[in-house]
Amino acid sequence: MEKVQTSRSFTVPIGPQHPALKEPEHFLITVDGEIVTKAVVRLGYAHRGVEKATESRNWVQNIYILERICGICSHIHATAYCLGVEKLAGVEVPPRAQAIRVLVAEMERIHSHLLWLGVAAHEAGFDTLFMYSWRDRETIMDLLESLSGNRVNYSVNLLGGVKFDVDDELARLIYDGIDFLEKRTQHYLDVVTSDAMFLQRTRGIGTMTRSQADVLGTVGPTARASNVYRDIRVEAPYGAYGDFPVKIVLDERGDLEARFVVRIKELFESYRVIREILDNLPAGELSTRMPRRIQEGETVSRVEAPRGELFYFIKSNGTDTPERIKVRTPTICNMMSVVKLAVGHQLADVPMIVVGIDPCFSCNDRMTVVDRGQGQRQGWTWEALRRYGIRHYQRLAR
Amino acid sequence: MNTDEALTIARQVVEGWAWKTETSQPEPYRLDVRLASKEDLIPIIVAFRVKRMGYLAAITGLDLGPEDGHLEVLYHFCTAAAVITLRLSIPREQASVPSLCSVIPSAEAFERELSEMFGVEVEGLPNPMRLYLPDDWSEGVYPLRKDVDEMALTSQVVMGEI
Amino acid sequence: MASDIIKDLLVSLAAILFFPGGLFLLLCGLLYEWIDRKLLAQLQNRIGPRWFQPLADVIKLLAKEEVVPEEVDARLFIGLPIVALAGGLTAALYVPFAGLAPSHSFNGDLIVTIYLLSLLSLCLGLAGSNTLDRFSLVGATRTLTQLFSYEAPFLLALLGPAFAAGSWQIQEIATYTETRWLLLSQPLGFLVAVIGLMGKLELPPLDAPEAETEIVAGALTEYSGRGLAIFRLSKGVTLILGLTLIAAFYLGGVSNPAFFFLKTIALLLIIVGLKALFARLRIDQSVGLWWRYGTLLVLIQWLGMFLWGGVMT
Repeated sequence: MEKVQTSRSFTVPIGPQHPALKEPEHFLITVDGEIVTKAVVRLGYAHRGVEKATESRNWVQNIYILERICGICSHIHATAYCLGVEKLAGVEVPPRAQAIRVLVAEMERIHSHLLWLGVAAHEAGFDTLFMYSWRDRETIMDLLESLSGNRVNYSVNLLGGVKFDVDDELARLIYDGIDFLEKRTQHYLDVVTSDAMFLQRTRGIGTMTRSQADVLGTVGPTARASNVYRDIRVEAPYGAYGDFPVKIVLDERGDLEARFVVRIKELFESYRVIREILDNLPAGELSTRMPRRIQEGETVSRVEAPRGELFYFIKSNGTDTPERIKVRTPTICNMMSVVKLAVGHQLADVPMIVVGIDPCFSCNDRMTVVDRGQGQRQGWTWEALRRYGIRHYQRLAR
Repeated sequence: MNTDEALTIARQVVEGWAWKTETSQPEPYRLDVRLASKEDLIPIIVAFRVKRMGYLAAITGLDLGPEDGHLEVLYHFCTAAAVITLRLSIPREQASVPSLCSVIPSAEAFERELSEMFGVEVEGLPNPMRLYLPDDWSEGVYPLRKDVDEMALTSQVVMGEI
Repeated sequence: MASDIIKDLLVSLAAILFFPGGLFLLLCGLLYEWIDRKLLAQLQNRIGPRWFQPLADVIKLLAKEEVVPEEVDARLFIGLPIVALAGGLTAALYVPFAGLAPSHSFNGDLIVTIYLLSLLSLCLGLAGSNTLDRFSLVGATRTLTQLFSYEAPFLLALLGPAFAAGSWQIQEIATYTETRWLLLSQPLGFLVAVIGLMGKLELPPLDAPEAETEIVAGALTEYSGRGLAIFRLSKGVTLILGLTLIAAFYLGGVSNPAFFFLKTIALLLIIVGLKALFARLRIDQSVGLWWRYGTLLVLIQWLGMFLWGGVMT
């Protein structure tokens, strides 16, 4: 008699459009009952061709285009770029500007980590924590708005300095905001380490050992939660981090709970650094002159974004446009760990594991050449877009 | 391992291939190693791994332009502040490099990106499907190569030619 | 003579269609849904919907096109929500609603009512497995898994008062509990009954069957328009009937309309509080919760009851 083999496994697509993902990305999860047996990721749904676009724009325009790689960590992208270009040009940036860059970077980290806390709580079905952490996030966004005029895409950086100064009144506002947030953050730390129901969803889930984290090349809080000593602010201090050192936050457990704890503890570190900078803000100019053309050369600029190490490789050919800018965002490093970690877990844990690395898909996808702003030379007209859409679907139908 | 130790160890490792490599230090924390042949890439990286030297931070593709006729592939390894770059020069036509996946599994994403953006064939890539570009993207169009014009590409995409 | 029969018939019809059954029940369901949403929003530091929002939702859904997916059994697809709602409305006939005596009553109607209320979960499960959508399939599996886990403890928890009253007729139990707060003598049973109701309605933290961050809307992913509206209405009806049963059995009776609303809304507050407090449980965790703790707690309660009964006699 022939043995009939029936397959009990089937695939569950998560994305490109799915309530668990706040940005378009495609995970193809093969499940056997509720257990994940295989996970595949497909990137590219938010490709805008930023790297190619930088090659036809001048050095100043590129600050703004690179800042728009990501809405949440916009400042750090511009910082990495500016630090690299200043290094190429051999320009020394005034200490006050460096301090303000770091100040804004830490405020951005607070903004990003609180946002992540809310999203992660939502994935776990803990909407109350989600609402509360997002309410508190408004505090830091208001502060950023009073500093720069914008809630996201602050546009603080210039080549050779910063645009905005911090006066006493603003400093007082920031002190007050930080005091409030510190109290709230302590509460959140208590919640994520003591709420029994929440711990059922985080403790021992998605555990990554130290050697796994190392081999998979993870960066940022994801790596630090697995006790990997990797923080650019500590290892290779840039900007004003030399004067205002940061203590690295490590955890050895490597599971989702450790990732919550590491990120929340990093918030305290950010509050401390912000206070220290405001206490000892160096006096002086905000910016210095930059040449329009940058001398020939290559450089590497590494900074610590909220999600981990951000790597820029910049090559100049001596003109007013760069020869090549390579952007390696932290999410792409961490994404591969998700695909590996998800196997063997329950389907219900997959969103938590994905969100555990704090993925930023728009950071991840940045390179093809599809999107263009309106106005300049050849933009997307509505008609062209419509025709493109029709053609695309005709091709699919065939 | 601090920055200086890392640079020293990297120098010692590369010394074993001294007659086939060209080492320079463009910035105090960077070491740039130009490899003469791509066969040496994997052995050097294995030697790095043995010495527990850093992690693969990125793979950068560089197009030197149609006149020069070469592409460069840069493998950046980071330890503390040190950045060790292994630089491979390959011809634009029939460009290929060996895959690092057997040594460093996390290289997969970088290599898939390199191959679709620059048209570099990565030999031995376990999963050579597209990572970023759409499924219906034309074969043979590599957007980050210098002979691809941004404006022309945009209009071709809009008109559905690619 | 004939006019009396017609009059009786009209009164019964009015009772079933308008008050206290039918329309009134549906509107009460919507009102309770609003209280639930508004309170949850307030607890989460949001503003929440206005009072007519659930009604507006239902009207809008009813007006929308109902898309029947390909490759499903269309009769089942359209019929299941109606069966679910009909089950809830039929159950209402045996429940002392809004302070009135139930319009029908017989010995053993408690069991019938509990099973009529389970029709909702059953229909949800069938509706999910009727479609080819993978989210629906996973959702349906989870709904049915949850059905098999909460149903036994929930049933046992409601049988506790029945044993105390010595009857399996809802009306008689309600009369017995009119003067006694069984919450005091059977606290564990009350706890299990409340959480059982949350499991039945797939409320957080027991909402794994419709966990939107994993499987979109679970079994109802493919539903739109009228089917979705009817499913939501039947959830409202099940909510209010469940609250009524628990209030009648454990909270000292509901024969006074004012007490009825007071007690059911107080129960709703407890449920909303629990909803706001907890993170979602995975399906294996909630099944474990039911079988490991829920059933055990009720059995301990029963043991206590029997021992107490033995001591008294």
